[in-house]
Amino acid sequence: MDKARSPLAMAMRRFICVRGVVPGLILLSGFVLVAIYAPLIASESALLWIDKDGWSLPLLHELFNRRSYPQRHDLLFNLLIILAPLIIISVLVLRRRLGAGFLLMSSIGMVLAIWVACQLPILPSHEGWRAPWRDRPGDAHTIRVWTAAAEQGTPPKAVFPLVPHRYDAPYEGAILKAPMRVNPVTRHRFLLGTDSIGFDVLARMVFGARISLTIGLVATAIAMGIGSILGAVSGYFGGWTDLVLQRLVEIMMCFPTFILVLVVISMFDRNIFLIMGVIGLTGWAGTARLVRGEFLSQSVRDYVLAAEALGLSRTRIMFRHILPNSMSPLLITATFMIAGSIFTESGLAFLGLGDPIAPSWGQMLNQGRENLHYAWLIYVPGLAVFLLLTSLNLIGNGLREALDPKSTS
Amino acid sequence: MIAYILRRLLWMIPTFLGILMITFGVMRLQSNSLSQEMEKASGGEGGVMDAKLMATGVENYLARFRSTGLDLPALVNLRGFTTKEKVVDKLRRTARGPGVSEHRRNRLETDLWLEGHFLVEPLAQIIADDALAELHGPASLALSLCAYYPLNPDDLKRLSQEEQRRRQTRNFEVRSLRIDYVNTEKGFSTTDTDGAKKRATVAEFWKRNADSFSRSSQRWGAILGETGFCEVMGKLFTGNLFSVKRKEYVFNVISDRWKVSFTINLLSIIIAWCISVPLGIRSARRIGTIEDQVTTNALFLLWSLPSFFIGTLLLHHLCTDTASGRAWFPNRGLSSQDALWMSTPRYLLDLAWHGFLPLSVLCYASFTSLSRYMRADMLEQLRSDYVRTARAKGADEDHVVYRHALRNSMVTMITLGAGLLSELFGGFVIVEYIFSIPGLGSLLVEAAREQDAPLIMGSTVISVGLLLVGILIADVLYAVVDPRVRSRYG
Repeated sequence: MDKARSPLAMAMRRFICVRGVVPGLILLSGFVLVAIYAPLIASESALLWIDKDGWSLPLLHELFNRRSYPQRHDLLFNLLIILAPLIIISVLVLRRRLGAGFLLMSSIGMVLAIWVACQLPILPSHEGWRAPWRDRPGDAHTIRVWTAAAEQGTPPKAVFPLVPHRYDAPYEGAILKAPMRVNPVTRHRFLLGTDSIGFDVLARMVFGARISLTIGLVATAIAMGIGSILGAVSGYFGGWTDLVLQRLVEIMMCFPTFILVLVVISMFDRNIFLIMGVIGLTGWAGTARLVRGEFLSQSVRDYVLAAEALGLSRTRIMFRHILPNSMSPLLITATFMIAGSIFTESGLAFLGLGDPIAPSWGQMLNQGRENLHYAWLIYVPGLAVFLLLTSLNLIGNGLREALDPKSTS
Repeated sequence: MIAYILRRLLWMIPTFLGILMITFGVMRLQSNSLSQEMEKASGGEGGVMDAKLMATGVENYLARFRSTGLDLPALVNLRGFTTKEKVVDKLRRTARGPGVSEHRRNRLETDLWLEGHFLVEPLAQIIADDALAELHGPASLALSLCAYYPLNPDDLKRLSQEEQRRRQTRNFEVRSLRIDYVNTEKGFSTTDTDGAKKRATVAEFWKRNADSFSRSSQRWGAILGETGFCEVMGKLFTGNLFSVKRKEYVFNVISDRWKVSFTINLLSIIIAWCISVPLGIRSARRIGTIEDQVTTNALFLLWSLPSFFIGTLLLHHLCTDTASGRAWFPNRGLSSQDALWMSTPRYLLDLAWHGFLPLSVLCYASFTSLSRYMRADMLEQLRSDYVRTARAKGADEDHVVYRHALRNSMVTMITLGAGLLSELFGGFVIVEYIFSIPGLGSLLVEAAREQDAPLIMGSTVISVGLLLVGILIADVLYAVVDPRVRSRYG
């Protein structure tokens, strides 16, 4: 310990040393990796396809096809397949030259810019590569294609992903198949069975990770944004503003979030992004209260007085000076709030009030409740939610112990 | 103490009002505007619609939605101040013409027709005005709809027989006042041969009904009184909220349900406290031992376990018949089908048998976090100076823990418990849904699925009301436990 360390590095060190953080981080990064590389894990398109015309990479063509991945967040994740390693490498290389904060902010900015770019119709949108069994009803057709190719003496060689099934279309004649049964349409196995409509459970699980993580991040970002602005205004200005905002916060705190979200969702067409927005818009009260408390204690500190004496604008003092200094409690609540919003979304989907199209874990668990005899429909999504929540809670706990000066255990 | 409780009660009024406002606002957001309704009815957007057909649509709409206050403005009603000139202007804008979008025109027209009784006076003036001959047709149609007052189930309860009959005959009468007209690209033109006669009838009708449609006496009170918010709140508090989809009064539906939810929630909170307080104390006193570590880790894992997962798991393992035998527990409801014919002890046994699993799922969610808080707070108290003093004094350990530390940590626990209450309150919705318990939570889910706005409103308000009562009880307990509160308020 002879080397001088920055406070951030010291906090990081304390954070890593808290028990449970390392497994939590490993679990979480596992979920993130699955979410990012979902199409490479579960897709009907072959990774590599060799027939008499030569070889091709059908999946690569699919990845950026807007028609194959119509959900708004899917293209972002697909782009991250390539960008995530690049970002990590550049962070590792440039860590010494540029500050960690700069790198973090620029990566976040880049990802956001890409998300916006994904929504513009610049990426290709075509019919896409067709697996031979795409023409449903498939069984007869598939067999014809494969046997015809085999008779010609050039059976196509194909390398498929681990789960060679779609997540967004059910398979005919594959309702409630147990794990490891063969799909009559594609002659591949369902590793974790199918549900009551004929979807491959594992394929949907993999893409469900994307939904859960997006929900957690977006809803938390919205709630944190609103909460810190309102809390900052209320704590810094005080007086009437404070009184009114505190009443508002009190009302929101009294209103059970789950019921409020349920009421709002019930009134609209259910869309996964609307649900994210509503969870974010209703969950800011706790953050606002927390930030207000921080501002009350920080705004009498010397550095704030100095900034005021320098004549800096109020906005600048609030958001460039005080807010960064109250970051650590915010970070802790953010972690728990991610877990909370994931729970809320799965709960809604479990009640049958989620997005009917999105492959959400909660919705799959609801299928399990409706078909109680099929254990895999309950255990698979339930365990996934449980593990994701556990990993987030472990990390949140670690952050609290590392950053909170009060907890000394 | 009483001053303190009163103060808390008073603070609850704005909170409750705010919650009502939020719920009402959300309901309002959903309200399909009439033009959307009409489009749905006519099967597509932007079609050219016959005015008469649309008028029938408006009548149906009023009959269905007037009871929810959807035809009134949300918060401020300034309709009593619309002048004749403004109405003329609005009528002219509903004319077809080159470049006028049909969609927009329909919306303007239906909005005008929904303005209600305040518009009758200016419309009658327009019809009486010879200079506005081309507007007589549309004005008479608008008048017939503005004066239309469909009788709703709650009106039947409120109005006298005579008044009901009067309104019904008036409804028939206003329909006969319509002057036929065509709305073409060139504007309005009256086609009715009986036009002059009908105009005279309108004048006569207005004279006869002037007092019930007069604006000057009513418009000031209507600014705040005759709004959607007041209408809905009035119905809510008088118990007249009517669910059109279920064809029943909302509180009739809720009254069967809320007791179940209330009992279950109360029981689960009591059980959760009875488990978590001793568990937290035990864990804190044995800090560092294997027992403490096992408890802490198990509680942490349980805390991350979503209730809907554990509920479904219990259903799968304990409540389904398998090849090896019958299920241990029933999988739906709170009592067996033949519960009505059971003797009391058997009925209670049956109730316990049904209620055991839902109660345990509902309990565990709150008891995990409560125990964790209890342990953390107890640890903090046990390390504090006054505990050390008490120990130095020679007080025995049980006395220190239960008489000194526990009382102090109860203060924290009650504060946390009240905060936790609203956080955990969503839990009963999920649990009731899983085990198909006929309570408020499953009612809320049903209503949300059916998009039944009055029912959602009613059940939300009742559940939040129950929650507020819970918070109030926590506040009272807080005062009981903490002498500082009592002394501050005298």
